[in-house]
Amino acid sequence: MSLPDVMTNQEWQRLDRRMLLIGPVRALKELAIPLIITAVGISSRDSASAWWLIPGIIGLLVIGVVPWFTTTFRMTSTQFQLRKGLLNKQQLTAPLDRIRSVDLESSLLHRLLGLAKVEIGTGVDDSRIELNALAEPQAQSLRVALLSRAPEVAPTTPGADEVLVSAEAPLPLPQQLPVPPLELARIDWSWLRFAPFSLGRLVLLAGIFGVVSQFGDELPIFDWDALGSGWDRVQTYALPVVILVGFVSATIAWLLVSIGGYVVQWWNLRLVRENGSLRLTAGLFTTRSTSIEEERIRGVELTEPGLLRLVGGAELSTLATGVGDGGTTTVLPQCPREVATRVGEAILDLRDPEDTQPLSVPLIQHGRAALRRCYINGLDPFLTWILVGGVLVWFDLIPVWVWVTVALALAVFGVLAARAAYAHLGHALTADHLVAGDGMLRRRRIALETEGVIGWVVQQTWFQRRVGLATLVATTAAGSESVEIKDVPHEVAIALADAVTPGVLTPFLA
Amino acid sequence: MSEQSSDDIAVAVPVALREPAHQVSPRAVPFWRLSAALTTVFFGAWLIAGMVLLSYLDGTQAVGRWALGLGAVVVALLLARTIWMPPLRFRIHRWEVSPGAIHTRSGWLGREERIAPLSRVQTVDSRQGALMRYFKLSTITVTTASAAGPIEIECLDEVVARQVVAELTEIVESTTGDAT
Repeated sequence: MSLPDVMTNQEWQRLDRRMLLIGPVRALKELAIPLIITAVGISSRDSASAWWLIPGIIGLLVIGVVPWFTTTFRMTSTQFQLRKGLLNKQQLTAPLDRIRSVDLESSLLHRLLGLAKVEIGTGVDDSRIELNALAEPQAQSLRVALLSRAPEVAPTTPGADEVLVSAEAPLPLPQQLPVPPLELARIDWSWLRFAPFSLGRLVLLAGIFGVVSQFGDELPIFDWDALGSGWDRVQTYALPVVILVGFVSATIAWLLVSIGGYVVQWWNLRLVRENGSLRLTAGLFTTRSTSIEEERIRGVELTEPGLLRLVGGAELSTLATGVGDGGTTTVLPQCPREVATRVGEAILDLRDPEDTQPLSVPLIQHGRAALRRCYINGLDPFLTWILVGGVLVWFDLIPVWVWVTVALALAVFGVLAARAAYAHLGHALTADHLVAGDGMLRRRRIALETEGVIGWVVQQTWFQRRVGLATLVATTAAGSESVEIKDVPHEVAIALADAVTPGVLTPFLA
Repeated sequence: MSEQSSDDIAVAVPVALREPAHQVSPRAVPFWRLSAALTTVFFGAWLIAGMVLLSYLDGTQAVGRWALGLGAVVVALLLARTIWMPPLRFRIHRWEVSPGAIHTRSGWLGREERIAPLSRVQTVDSRQGALMRYFKLSTITVTTASAAGPIEIECLDEVVARQVVAELTEIVESTTGDAT
């Protein structure tokens, strides 16, 4: 592989020259509304003073251009450095062996000009270095250089890191072999059938309704008098029809939003493994490319939210260190459970492919005491309602039949939920991974690399202690930083912890 | 699959953690008692203020009496906590530092045991509030790369705490690699 020019060139470099175009456009976009308001305000008073706007616009153009002149970056043999700022000068430095992820993002405007924004994630989660923007090929080669450089530098730091690398995977060879990219997943449009069953975009729909109702007062249909008389007519003639129409139109709106959102977000999805990192590319208008160093991926999380589970779908994300968004990266859209399982296990990249697969291994259940606790949790709303509803009936606020009906419904729901919760609860230990399952309506399974466990917490509430259960928490630097195994028998928890991290508990065992 | 079943058996063998070796300073008991008493007095003062205010406004209001009853229950619970919590907590709070790992146990109604290998420790801090200084107590916090995993040893004798911090710092400096 020919060395990318950014890698050999240790001179300070500027962002792409085409940013001189984008900068002012962005500045204009951000200030468009105040600008228009001022323009209208001024011109309505005195048309001559509208000319004063011109210096303002020129000022904006200058502001948009300044970052290009003040931002420079370079890559030395050990560090990536970025200088920026006109008055407040800032220099950001990232040691190359600390770089965990490199993301490229191109908005529509970027893509028209052939540019890409680069975001570099280091060991510290929240500070990412942003380069906005480089030419697409330059950004690509920077990504390759930054990520392929990292494992090369790693062995020079002595100590546990080195042990970790060798224990984890024999993969990262010191000499850089051009490994052909291996495709783990690609969008399959038959997955689109799962889009409406994921409620994540409901927020978006609610937002749209919010905007509409903002302007609602201006629209004739929201005139309250008209609405009132209309309502009377509706009540007498066609309530079922109105409900039906409302339901159908809400469903259509939901289908449009969910499927549209799915297409826009996951267009052209590819998940590949190359040069010791995992790369995800997707997007219809704004294209994103996320690369995470594979050594930093400590596990995966397979989630089946209630509705999606009914139709056999699942979501998959990785748990890693040094990436934004709480350490988890969603790597697959809503897709069939089998696909998510297969891709998840491919990401985990087991040392021995013959080993038990962490995402499909049957979980060890937690026994009768845990089942009882599931029932107590599940029937909690029922018991609360018995009390609250009883008080309401006492004060004649609701009729008795409402109390009884709701109580029955809650009881049935509670029993079903408890059984589901118990069925989803469990743990397993494979050769390299600790597996934890939980969830009531939503089933979730987390597989965490045993090497990534950096401590244990055994929690027992008073109730748990009475029945010999505990919550075992494996702490880790990846993902949400902890993996919980709930309501596991105490001695099983200790034995499991001991098996996951051999030696750590030994001095403290009875 | 035979490998998996042997794993299962290994996990099923009963093992238990023994108690960590050391107790915290006995002065923790009066310290906890005083802190709990202060909380109780604070809430009690609010309750009395509320009572005075209510009787001034209208002493016969049913809702007011309910609220007062509830407040009285809370204060009674706080009082019980002041009496029972400190000795119970002193029995449960224990700690130990082995050459390779740190182990603590805490809680009074519930229990929490924390274990972290020293090779994963990032920082060692000690902290002493005003009230703690009066009792010559100090709390040590050991953090790892996980936000979920800080280990606290509460209410050590301040001399012991200083020694432990020095020891831990020395061990931590000699290791690298925090599994990030």
